[in-house]
Amino acid sequence: MTDTRRITVKFFALLREQAGCREVSLATTASTPAALYAELMSTHGLRVSQSILTYAVNERYVPADSPLADGDRVAFIPPVAGG
Amino acid sequence: MFAVTENPIDAAALRAGLQRPEAGALVVFEGWVRNHHRGRPVTRLDYEAFVEMAQSEGDALVAEIEEEFPGVRITCVHRTGDLVPGDVAVWIGARSAHRDDAFRAARLAIEEVKRRLPVWKKEYHPGSDPVWVNCTEDTGVTNDASAYYARQSALAEVGAQGQHRLAQASVLVVGVGGLGCPAAMYLTGAGVGRLTLVDGGKVEFSNLHRQVLFEAGDVGAPKASRAALALRARNPHIVVEAINADLTASNLRPLLVGRSVVLDCTDNFTTRLLLHDACLEAGIPLVQAAVHQWEGVINVFERGAGGCLYCVGLPRDVSALDRVGSCAGAPVFGPAVGTLGLLQATEAIKVLLGRGADDLATHHTLLVDLLSIGITRVARPARPDCPFCTRVGTTSDSGRAEVGASPASDDKPTPLWVSPDERDQLGTHRLVVLATAEDRAARDWLIDVEIVHPEDTQKLDLLVRTSDRPVVLTCPQGVRSASMARMLRAAGLANVFALEGGLPSSLGQLRSTQREAARE
Ligand SMILES: [Zn+2]
Repeated sequence: MTDTRRITVKFFALLREQAGCREVSLATTASTPAALYAELMSTHGLRVSQSILTYAVNERYVPADSPLADGDRVAFIPPVAGG
Repeated sequence: MFAVTENPIDAAALRAGLQRPEAGALVVFEGWVRNHHRGRPVTRLDYEAFVEMAQSEGDALVAEIEEEFPGVRITCVHRTGDLVPGDVAVWIGARSAHRDDAFRAARLAIEEVKRRLPVWKKEYHPGSDPVWVNCTEDTGVTNDASAYYARQSALAEVGAQGQHRLAQASVLVVGVGGLGCPAAMYLTGAGVGRLTLVDGGKVEFSNLHRQVLFEAGDVGAPKASRAALALRARNPHIVVEAINADLTASNLRPLLVGRSVVLDCTDNFTTRLLLHDACLEAGIPLVQAAVHQWEGVINVFERGAGGCLYCVGLPRDVSALDRVGSCAGAPVFGPAVGTLGLLQATEAIKVLLGRGADDLATHHTLLVDLLSIGITRVARPARPDCPFCTRVGTTSDSGRAEVGASPASDDKPTPLWVSPDERDQLGTHRLVVLATAEDRAARDWLIDVEIVHPEDTQKLDLLVRTSDRPVVLTCPQGVRSASMARMLRAAGLANVFALEGGLPSSLGQLRSTQREAARE
């Protein structure tokens, strides 16, 4: 039996353009942000390499392999360029 | 104060908001949109923010910097939306009583903004498609890292595989002084993936001549976190963590978990013994150095390779060693600690690269004399009858086994440490507190406890030798008692234990056990 979670995903910058939207809500069996990104690469046409991404869950930076919980808000963070 | 805004930044208002009569300095940084990037003209920039997270990250980074520089106040505002050359994209003001802190805090603020604020910019060039800055592979972090390490990974002994081993490594540096600063600098440059600095001290003016990560403006600041700032700036590809606390028996064990190698850069013998025993017990290689004026000593201790400190005949009285071995206030030749610190980094990197015993100071001690320029190798073989080596050599776990069975009843190694909870499992035992007259005077709880003066090693030795019950040693900090327990173990006495965490953590239980003992 696999665990399914409801997750809200936010896209920014290049990823927003590649996904064609700012936000999606989905059910997934992915248990980590990295696994979720890998899943969305095929379903949503994301093409930014995972080697340069960082991840945020509920508006906080987290490690790529941290666990996802039902109802989490996930954001994939391309290399930032503030200032 | 931190804010993200779509509106033009009103610099005059932000500046006025920071003005205070007690402030002696305001350093302002303005980040402007410029009309070129990498040799191409730029007509406009589109800034996009993850607003909710930018606010929380921005609040956090301002709070962290204000904590790092007590008395400094930061205002940081980041603009979003469509900007043209000449617009202010970010405004940072750092107010302080003195200019040094204001300059440094402002600098740190903009670096942190660029490192972690979830803000992106899209660059528009005439006649071609706009690009998201930093988002393409060819400017990605991975390639930057390979350029950073190019000259090192070109070495036959390193290569891509060695570089990968370094990147996977987790290194603990204990003591960020004359040895720790240069050692940590070169470990940072070599690219160890995770570097943790432990030091409870603050930068002093008399440190600066040899503690090369610090500047005059750092005086009074915590050493570990200030060193971490300097190291992160040297190599953005690694994780540098700072722990602004001294290493003690109670915080040691979690800090050792998962370490590839540990560097002992401390200046006192008590901590040195603590690390020596814990690393050998846990099977973690330890690179240890010490300096006296123009001379230095370096050892690599590794379980099952070469002799330990007890093999070479450590004197029994630790407190005497501390009086001789502590370098607080002692004369020291700056380049001597520098040289030894670099040798520590060298040995640690070779350990991480998997070099064999021929290339490491595991079976000998290196004596370095900077005055006469001499390096002497002294063989350091393991002594077959060393009680400590015999004990740790046979264990492959972390040295922490079950306390359960009565100690020394079989040939299974007996762990040195007992936690306050585990003390119950020892059954009837004697709790002995190492305390001086001042310790006693300072604490009323010592009335009904067995007390031995910490320097009375003969009395303690006799007490343990003649005791029909296990003896658990403790003291106010838990460091001295642990050293003493180790000494007694090394002398072949299995019936002695060290209480984890020293007295403060065990005060409640200590009382109840005493009462039980009284009832018996
Ligand atoms: Zn030994």
